[in-house]
Amino acid sequence: MTMEAKTHAIDISAMQRQNQTLRLEDETIALTVRDLELFYGEKRALHGVNMDIPKNRVTAFIGPSGCGKSTLLRCFNRMNDLVDSCSINGQINLYGDNIYERGIDVADLRRRVGMVFQKPNPFPKSIYENVAYGLRIQGITKKRVIDETVEWALKSAALWDEVKDRLHESALGMSGGQQQRLVIARTIAVKPEVLLLDEPASALDPISTLKIEELIHELKKDFTIVIVTHNMQQAARVSDYTAFMYMGDLIEFGVTDTLFTNPEKKQTEDYITGRYG
Amino acid sequence: MNISVKEWFKSGSPWVWMNAGAVAVSMIMVVGLLGLIAVRGLSHFWPADIVQGSYTQGGEQRVMVGEMVESAEVLTKQLIEAGIDLPETSEYSTRHLMKIGNRDVNGTDFTWALEYYFKDQIRPEMLFAAERHEWGNFYGYLRSIKEAGQEVGRYDGYDKSDAYLALWAELDKRIERVLDIHDDILDIEKGEIGSINYELERLRLKERGLQLDNVTDQRPYDEINQRRKELDEQYEGLQERLLDLYTQINRDSLTAEVSTGEVVEIQLSKIVRAFRPNDMGVGQKILHYFAKLWEFVSDDPREANTEGGIFPAIFGTVMMVILMSILVTPFGVIAAVYLREYAKQGFITRLIRIAVNNLAGVPSIVYGVFGLGFFVYFLGGNIDDLFFPEAKPSPTFGTPGLMWASLTLALLTVPVVIVATEEGLSRIPRAVREGSLALGATKFETLIKVVLPMASPAMMTGVILAIARAAGEVAPLMLVGVVKLAPSLPLDGNYPFIHLDQKFMHLGFHIYDVGFQSPNVEAARPLVYATALLLVAVIALLNLSAIAIRNHLREKYKALEM
Repeated sequence: MTMEAKTHAIDISAMQRQNQTLRLEDETIALTVRDLELFYGEKRALHGVNMDIPKNRVTAFIGPSGCGKSTLLRCFNRMNDLVDSCSINGQINLYGDNIYERGIDVADLRRRVGMVFQKPNPFPKSIYENVAYGLRIQGITKKRVIDETVEWALKSAALWDEVKDRLHESALGMSGGQQQRLVIARTIAVKPEVLLLDEPASALDPISTLKIEELIHELKKDFTIVIVTHNMQQAARVSDYTAFMYMGDLIEFGVTDTLFTNPEKKQTEDYITGRYG
Repeated sequence: MNISVKEWFKSGSPWVWMNAGAVAVSMIMVVGLLGLIAVRGLSHFWPADIVQGSYTQGGEQRVMVGEMVESAEVLTKQLIEAGIDLPETSEYSTRHLMKIGNRDVNGTDFTWALEYYFKDQIRPEMLFAAERHEWGNFYGYLRSIKEAGQEVGRYDGYDKSDAYLALWAELDKRIERVLDIHDDILDIEKGEIGSINYELERLRLKERGLQLDNVTDQRPYDEINQRRKELDEQYEGLQERLLDLYTQINRDSLTAEVSTGEVVEIQLSKIVRAFRPNDMGVGQKILHYFAKLWEFVSDDPREANTEGGIFPAIFGTVMMVILMSILVTPFGVIAAVYLREYAKQGFITRLIRIAVNNLAGVPSIVYGVFGLGFFVYFLGGNIDDLFFPEAKPSPTFGTPGLMWASLTLALLTVPVVIVATEEGLSRIPRAVREGSLALGATKFETLIKVVLPMASPAMMTGVILAIARAAGEVAPLMLVGVVKLAPSLPLDGNYPFIHLDQKFMHLGFHIYDVGFQSPNVEAARPLVYATALLLVAVIALLNLSAIAIRNHLREKYKALEM
């Protein structure tokens, strides 16, 4: 970690203290995962995961590479459907509705559960069109509505001031950090209920990472956020709840501060103290 | 340089030299090829001097007048063996190919002349050349100008005197007048009468259609007859004007003395242009050169394609290639999208890919045969049965034409577009597709809004390759729509403006026709080179415009380099 990020880590942990009184029992649950098993061909990547993800909180998935945390995240908006050899058993309920039920409109589900990827992936269009893309897909054509939503989304993603004068320039001319915030803006523009972040800062420099982390903190007022991260400090800084996964199993899930300071399982303690992973 | 051969080889420089050498050889060959056809083709339009001299061979003396087209050194011994009386003083003798013109007088345009016999060569300033609508070039001295049979001016000398120049100026004026009338006649014949004929034919077909549908109501027939009467009246009026113009154009004539001393009378209406190359300065020659060059690219051909321009062939080539591109792009792109995005990848898709790739290797004439059998006879025949029964027994689409030629070439080039598009689709990053899907777009919306635009430069690459292949193709076209001489362009002012059923001319076929099917090979040879150069230029231009479009698209969607 570089200096800037470290100094800032202290700042955020100050904000974090208010979360110490969190209890999962008191939360409204957005997503419930029940006995979720996932196979890539013959290989079992998730071994019966059970988990409740609370509404308007940041839930972080941590664990070593290949532990299945990204796979689990991609189950929430059925991105795994794109993998030919992938098959799924079990249930995921979004506010009580099983998203793997037959006849579910996957496109609609993905609108309700937005996703931001590891690498910024803006479309080769203008900044404005990138943010407006999801709205146009939904068939919104009124220019006023789109204009307002684009402005709101860019403001929410803390990008408005940087780009308001060049909305119609290509998004590909932005820096990596700006691009990632643009992708977040693009995702929240369709007003999803859940926001999935798959290592959103791993390709960014520390300053951009910081901005994204602040943004996550802001966004949880409006969205339920699930974030996958390799970086344990990041998980500790931004999340309210943390799930530790190992080899396709959910080892431990709980309030972040508790999990980091007083883990129940030996495996969790080994991982967060850096003994493996 | 004290390194051993072994080290030198190890350093890799021999390979660099070899590669550079190969590139250099290729470059030299391309430049040489283009240079050769450019020199041979473009020099044809230069107004060459007309040489006059006395030619004595076998005791027979005559005056020879003509342009020196080509000179060659021939072994003297060889000529002697051939029975020509020559002194064996030098090993080689010079032989000229003379364009003596006056086919109506001499019976031939070209003759070989040995330098040894060709004495007293002069380039008289008053000797003139005339390009004619028929019988090729004329060379001679102007003697008199006649108006309606009455002589209006005469000069009997050979020198460049004021009186002779005045007579020449008079001729120039009268030729200009004749050319104007000629243009008017062409406008009426091709334009107005052409339109009337076209409409009359449509009326005939309409009437026949009514009869075939057993329409007994008399009104539509009356309407047709009414319109036909109007057109006939218009036609009568035009016919009268035409007759008047024809008497006007045939009013003037000239008499001229040819090399044999004979005096020939030529109607001015037969002359395209008359000029005196020996009296022209460099500036005048350059002007004349560009006028001829412009005529070549903008005019219709004359005299079995050996004179005049090749505009219909340029037009036909470009039109066919554009139509082909319009047909092949959607076909190829849709096929590629299905193969890459929707089809289940497996044995069958692999088989289809192999088949598509092999299709690109089928000889083009096979496509021609297929086009003739399937498109022209089967598809065209059925279209005629269904939609144009009134034109029977003469076929509308059941005969080779622009539409079928374009379709055949589209079929020929579709594998290239499929392969290039598939390549492009496979290079679109997964992340971008997922980004679109994650926003609630369906697969189809993702394809239309993100993936296809990003793959468009690759599609254009496919189209560029298709154009490069199709524009130079001749063999299949001979079977499915190209002709030696098309009376009208496939695009004109008569509804429906684009005549897809019409036959058309093509530069590639024009080269073949002029070079190998021409009655006057010597006259046509420079045109072969010029046409070849033009074909290369047209293909280059088509390709460059496609490349420009592609570069523009690339600039727009350069996300691929992420």
